[in-house]
Formats: sequence, C-alpha cells, structure tokens
Amino acid sequence: MGILNDLWLGLQEFGHFLPILMMLIGVIVGIMVGVLPGLSPSIGVALMLPVTYGLDPISALVLLVSVYLSSNYGGSITAIAINTPGTPGAVATTFDGYELTKQGKPLYALMTSLTASTMGGIIGTIILILFSVPLAWLALSFESYEYFALGVFGLTIISSLAGKSPLKGFISSGIGLLLITIGFDTQLPFSRFSMGIPDLADGITFIPALIGLFALGEIFYSIEKGENLESRKAAKVDLSQSLPLKELLKLKYVMLKSSLIGTLVGCIPGAGGTIATFIAYDNAKNSSKHPEEFGKGSLEGVAAPEAANNGSVGGALVPLLTLGIPGSASTAVLIGALMIHKLNPGPQLFDKEPGLVYGIFISLFFANIFMFFVGLMGNRLWIKIIAAPKSLLYPIILALSFIGSYFIQNSVFDVGICIAFGILGWIMKRGDFPTAPVILGLILGKMIEENLRLSLLKGEWIDFFTRPGSLIIIILAMVSFFLPYIKKRISKVNIR
Amino acid sequence: MNLSKYIAGFVIIIYLALLGYLYFGIGKGKTYPSKPISIIVHSKPGSSIDFMARKVAEIARKYSDVAFVVENRSGTQGLVAMQHVLDMKADGYTLLGVTKSFLSTVMVNKSKVSLDDFQFIAHMVFDPEALIANNERNFHSLADIVQDAKNGDTPQVWIGPGTGSRDHLMALKSWETLEINARWIDYKSAPQSILALLRNEASVYVGNPADIKGKNDLDIVSIASNKRLKSLPDVPTFKEQGYDINESMWRGFAFKKGVPDEAVRYVTKVLQDVVNDEEWEDYCDETYVFSNFLEQAEFTKQIKKEIEETNFYLNEAGLLVSYKKAGPNIFLVLLIILAGIFFVILVFSKFKISNISYDQIIAGSIFSISLFFYYQTSLFLIPDSLNITSPSLIPRIWIVILLLLSVLLFINSKKKKDVRKHHSPRYVLIIIVLMIGYLFAMQWVGYYLTTPIFILASMYLLKYRKVPFMLINAFGFVIFSYLIFNKLLHIDLPLGWWFI
Repeated sequence: MGILNDLWLGLQEFGHFLPILMMLIGVIVGIMVGVLPGLSPSIGVALMLPVTYGLDPISALVLLVSVYLSSNYGGSITAIAINTPGTPGAVATTFDGYELTKQGKPLYALMTSLTASTMGGIIGTIILILFSVPLAWLALSFESYEYFALGVFGLTIISSLAGKSPLKGFISSGIGLLLITIGFDTQLPFSRFSMGIPDLADGITFIPALIGLFALGEIFYSIEKGENLESRKAAKVDLSQSLPLKELLKLKYVMLKSSLIGTLVGCIPGAGGTIATFIAYDNAKNSSKHPEEFGKGSLEGVAAPEAANNGSVGGALVPLLTLGIPGSASTAVLIGALMIHKLNPGPQLFDKEPGLVYGIFISLFFANIFMFFVGLMGNRLWIKIIAAPKSLLYPIILALSFIGSYFIQNSVFDVGICIAFGILGWIMKRGDFPTAPVILGLILGKMIEENLRLSLLKGEWIDFFTRPGSLIIIILAMVSFFLPYIKKRISKVNIR
Repeated sequence: MNLSKYIAGFVIIIYLALLGYLYFGIGKGKTYPSKPISIIVHSKPGSSIDFMARKVAEIARKYSDVAFVVENRSGTQGLVAMQHVLDMKADGYTLLGVTKSFLSTVMVNKSKVSLDDFQFIAHMVFDPEALIANNERNFHSLADIVQDAKNGDTPQVWIGPGTGSRDHLMALKSWETLEINARWIDYKSAPQSILALLRNEASVYVGNPADIKGKNDLDIVSIASNKRLKSLPDVPTFKEQGYDINESMWRGFAFKKGVPDEAVRYVTKVLQDVVNDEEWEDYCDETYVFSNFLEQAEFTKQIKKEIEETNFYLNEAGLLVSYKKAGPNIFLVLLIILAGIFFVILVFSKFKISNISYDQIIAGSIFSISLFFYYQTSLFLIPDSLNITSPSLIPRIWIVILLLLSVLLFINSKKKKDVRKHHSPRYVLIIIVLMIGYLFAMQWVGYYLTTPIFILASMYLLKYRKVPFMLINAFGFVIFSYLIFNKLLHIDLPLGWWFI
C-alpha cells in the first residue's frame, strides 16, 4: 500500500519534539485568532509567518496549518457567545448558536460546535489523504460558468434564512448585493459608486462590515430594548448544564454530510469555506425532521456550518498541494511559506517530499484532537464570560470591534464602516429584517458579477445551460430555492 | 468586596507601568537608526513583492543594527500602502516596497498620490515578463505563436490578471511587435489565470517565470529580457528570436520625499550589502528573477523614461482617454418613473404622515437610495475601445430588484397593523456618539489612553456601578489587549499622533 507507506514516512517526519510543540502552539494561537473579531484565519496565518523563518519546513508548516485549522473553530465561540462571528466562516453559526445562548443554553451550542468542528476537520483530512487527486480534477473543472452558478445557488439559501418574512429577506440580500458593487469594477480599473471618497475607492472592507452588522447591531438593539443589562441573572446561564452524549450522537449524519459539503466546496479555488457553511446550513434545514427549529436554537443548525467550516480546511489544501494554486486567502500565505522554505507547491511536491506532505496530513489529525481538548477546557471559561453582566461585557465588545476593524488596514475609515454597519444592523433588527442575507449578498455579489461578466466575455448566456457543471448547479439552486415553499404547502395540505 | 479593591489597585499599577514603558521610549535615540525600520508592502503575504521584502529583512539582519519588519497594507492596487507611507513622518523608519505596477496605478486612478512624493532609493530585481502556454499547444518559440495566430479563424485569447496591468500592457506590446491580432481576457488574479491555462482555455498567459513553478503542464515560450535566466537556461528571450521587447516588473524600495540623507545612505548601503550576499543570489535563482541593484539617481532616471512609455500604452488600451458615460437605459428609466409615480401615489393618497409604519419608512428609504444608486450608474465611464459588458449591468439588476421589492414591502405593510413597540433610542445614540468621539480621540492621544476612558464611560452609561469591577474591566482589558496584540501577534496599536 503506497498510502500506508507514505503515512509512515509522514509520521516519522512529524513525530519529533519541535513539530509537535508547534502544533500545540498553533492550535492555541489559532483559537485565539478565531475568537478575536477582525482576525480572520488568513491574517492569523500571515501573522505567524515570520515565526517560521527559523524553523525547519515541517515544523513551520505544521504551525501554520494548525493555526489555520483551529482559527476556523475559534470563530464559532464568539458567534455563539456574543453574536459576533470571529471569522467570516462562523456567520451561519450565529443563527442558532446565539439563539441557544439567549435561551440560557450556551454550553449546548459550544459543545456541538466543538464536536462538529473536530469531526469536520478529521473527515476533511481523511478525504484529503485519500482523494486529493480526483478532487484536484473538480477544482480544475470549475470555470467562470460554474462559479457564477455556485454564486446563484448560494443566494437561493436566502429562502431558508429569511424566517417569517421572505420579502424582508430578499430586500436584505439586495442591500448586500448592491453595497458590494461599490469599489473597483470587476473588469476595468475604475471605481464605482465611490462618490469621490478615496477610502471608498476599493469598496467596503468586509470584516468591519461583518463585525458592525452582527456585534454592534445586536448591542445597539439590546441597549434600546433597555433590558436588565447590569444583573447577572439577566444572562440566565445555567452553569451546571452539560450536553448528553445522546444528543450529540443524533447529529452524526448532519455532521458527516456537512463535512463532505465543506470539503468539496472548500477545494474549489476561490469559493471558500464561508459559502460551504451556508450551503451546509441550508441542506441541513431542508433535510431535517424539525426544520421549524432552525433559527430558533437548533443543534443541527450549529453542527452543520461548523462541520462544513472545518471540513473546508482539508479541501482548501487540495488545490494547494496538487495544483500549486491557492484556493483561499489562507492557503495563499501557505504557498508563501512553502516558497520561503524552498519548496515548490504543486504535483511535484508529492513525489519529492512525501514525508513532508503526509507529515502535514498527520499533524492535521492530531491538531484536531488536541483542539477538541483545548476547546473542552476553554468552554468552561467562555461560559463564565457569557454569564457576566452585559453592561460589563458590551463595552469590551465595542472596544474589541474597534481594534478588529482598525488594524486590518490601519484605517480609521474602516472603523467608520463598522459603526455605519452597526447602525444599519440596528435599524434592520428594529424592523425584523434578517441581517444574515446582507452578509450573504456581500460574500456572493463579487463572485456572481466577476464570473458572469467573464463568462459573457468568453461566450454567451446559453453556455450556462449547456455546460453540465453549471446546469447541475443551477438546477440545485432552483430546488433549494423552492423546496422550503413546496414543503410548507405540503405540510399545510396535510394538516387540513 | 475588599479583595476586588486590591485587584483593581493592582491592575491600575500594572497599567501605569505599561504606559510608562510604552511612552518613555519615545523621542530617545539620536543617531539613526535607533528602532526597527518597517517595510510597507502593498499586497497580501505570499505575493512576489512581499516575498522579496521578507527575504531582504532576513538577510539584512547580517548587515544592519536594527531589524527590518515587513507590514502588509493591501488595497486599491497599492494606493493604500503609498498613502500610508505618506502619512508617516519622513524620518527614515518607513520604507515602501515599490513595483513597476505603481506607475499605471497612479495614472489610471488619477489619485492625489503622486510618484513625485517619493524618492526611489533602490532598484533591487527585475522579473521578466513571460509568455506562458499549456504544453498541449506545442508553442516552442514566438514563431509558433505567430503561426498559430495567422492560421486560426478567430483571434487568439491571451489572459492574465488585470486590465491596464503590466501584464496587459505587455500583451499589447507583444501583439504590436509580433504583428498579430489577439483578445485580452482579464481573469482577475494570477491563480485564476493559471487555472484557465491548465484547462487549456487560452493560447497565452502573460505572467512571470515563477508562475510555472511546480506545474508540469506549463511551458514558458519566451521571456522579455536581454539575457536568459541562469536557472532556466532553455527558455529563449524575445531578442534572440528577433523581436526587440524588453519588459519586466522591477521591484525596489522608496522613501517618502524629505528623508534625511543620513538615513537614505544607511538604508541604501544595507540594501547593497543584501544584494551582494550569497543568499540573495540563491533567492533570485530560486524565484527566476534578475538581480540588478540601481541607486537613486539611475533608478529615478529609469522611472522617468518608463512613465512616458506606460502613458503611451495605457492610452492605446483606451484606459486614459475617450470615455463615454454609461448613460441611462431608456427602458429602465421608464420602469423607474412608473414605479416612482406609483410610489408617490401610494404615499400621498392613502396615508397620513403620522400613520406611516416603520416598514414603510424603510421601504421609502430603500426606494430613494436605489434611485440615487441608479443615477450614479449613469455616470460610469466606459472606454470606447474596450469591448466588455457594461460596468452598470449588474448594479442595475440589483437596483431594479430592490425598487420592486421596496414597493411590494410598502404595499404589504399597509395590510398589517404595526404592533411592534419601539423604545427610546436615546442610549443607543449616546453610545454611537461616544464611539465616534473615541475613534477621533484615539488617533490623537493613542489607544492606551483613550480605551479605558471609553470602556468606563460606556459601562457607566449602561448603569453598571460597581467601581472596583469597572476598573478591573477597563484597565485589565487594555493590559490584555497589549499582551495579545503587541506581544503575541506583533500588531502595534496606535500610540497617537501627539506622541510620535
């Protein structure tokens, strides 16, 4: 067995003091990076890059990969605790995770997210080891037509996110889609809608917008409601609760399926884990026995995006290692790290350095397991923070949002964006407009426009329907769009 | 309760010690250099210029008394990084990594940042432009490309990242010299272009030699330099094949104008030592670039010449002159006017102002904002000579959808009585004002002084009154953020303009 032999080589490469130490450090740093709003996985990996100069290649890559992996998990903690996705991949986790916290069950959400993240990470790694070559074909076969179709598919998820009023959901996503067209045109080096403001020439920076919409929007809204913010009782957190294993076992199919979705979408260069989390959430809702619980604190709704998010890490490494092409912002940094250590990413790497490649795979395994135990310990701490009076917590979150928005480009304007989106989020919440579709629009708008226009440059409209790949995705999009309404109809008929 | 008082006292003492530590060092150090020199890079980690800057920083340790630290400030094709350097003092502690792409960036964006604001102190390397093809095409020389172009029924497709980018200009130059007809398709990024080339979607990809690293299926047909690369001895140059094109992406370093001569001399010396180092030669061979050190005078002369040339080709690409405005689309205008009339009738006929619900206010705002965006789309500029889908197409689709949905929302919300009760937003507004004040104060007096005040004020506003806990929370957070950001992640939080 070639693979077993390679894995053995990898184990020999990884099984030393320094790589293992780097994995442990990487996991802890990664979780912190994830928890801090504004520090996305790619920034975390980039920040750790200088540390790797003095290390041997395997230790360096193990450190970076561990940071990448565990920061994807860390983002869910703040998403659950304070409705602030620490990373873009954790947006979908807020839908049910924060609901559970509001119901006094944050530990349920945290445990589910931790377990799902670990499962997703491990499944992603297994798929990476076994199927990286066929998956490279998938990554390669995605052309602009398929990217466009995938973007449209992503948008259809609004019909599951919209909640009570689909109309308001569509309006929200329209706002996101329109706002993301601000900035450079996708084909010309000119700025659109920037109205002569130089800082707006490059458009809206995504992370400050995300922090504003979720964290500030929520804080403003609850300040306005004048809830009893200063008392500890208001948080309603039961510190003694624990999640029965039985509940978690029920989630195993959701986790498995979502991990697969995460890995598959993750390996498409440029699509990324965030889109995967939305697709997994939508899929879990559509196939659930209790779709009505989604958005109101469903454990499935926490498990699905988290499994997909960490599954996407394994996926993102596929194009990096097999084609030498970065599939995400984080893997672009990893390519830089490979080059600093005089390694060429790409198919030759498997032949020349099997020990290194499989050493990374094995480190991913152990990093997942270690992440689980660190997460278990961390959960005790997070619970205490959640239970603190809101009037102590909110000022800290506001200050953190500030730093998070500021340091991405050392830009005061970005902090302004954060506050502006905070106000937008507040206005929307007052009128029961869901905020998640705005983010969906911001994420997908560029992808849809870039690839639509590129496709039209290369060919015609009809090509979207004659290419099997894009046709399949468009059909999937139709199904996902109409399924919730059809289901509702059917259940109404049955009740009658 | 007593214990928390002691903890609060302890935290404040640590905070004061931290302040002393942070602010005491400022202003000391008379000889240059006395602190690390930052290298500002305009792209994300892992890019070529970033990689070069990091290599320089690494080798410079041998020759410099202070460290060089790479900082990435990406955005607006380099304008963010340039602006950042201009915002800093000209004290020789902020070095800008520059590339040839900055020439077009400044011209196309017509920004207020000018190349004259900088002194270009060192040209480090040049990275020859390369024509790269999938090996299924069997392009072994420029003659093969010309042959294929002349035989084909449709123009060849050439791809690469960007419109008006160096790669695009190289394509224009090549077509002119090779006397062929071809189309440029902008694939936005190098990875997407290379993926398209791996699928064999295009004839030629215009990039740099390092792009083929680790990819078995791609060949470099030719490079646009005077001589062959040492590490790619089989790749011919344009010149050898009788075409006189010399086009490369140089990379180097610049200071803001007005940096003391002493600093310029020091950094130039260090950079020269770096270039003469063995490791540097290794790096150049490894990344397929030519090492070529030029000092300020020569570098500046070269740039002057290139500005003229860049201007010429940008003109040719239709990116500098002859725009037309996108203009309003008649059908859309009619649709919008109809929707507008409908909307106005709705607002004025059936509702008194006091009866308008929250949803209706939102619907009205979205409606008018969308109209404003539509007006903006009619001002977009499209170069005459480029055949592309209009930049206003997609925004207009979203605008029309929003217009229709907002009318629908307006009608819908009249059926249901609005039962939501709204509380007074007074505290929210105070918090927002507080945040904006904090933002401006932070720029002047720094993060460490303003943050505790902001946190204390907002806790007070939220009616928290246990003083020891308030102090622990506010000052403890500052200490915590210092440890995490400065010490662990090496991100400097601002110290304020007054103090630097």
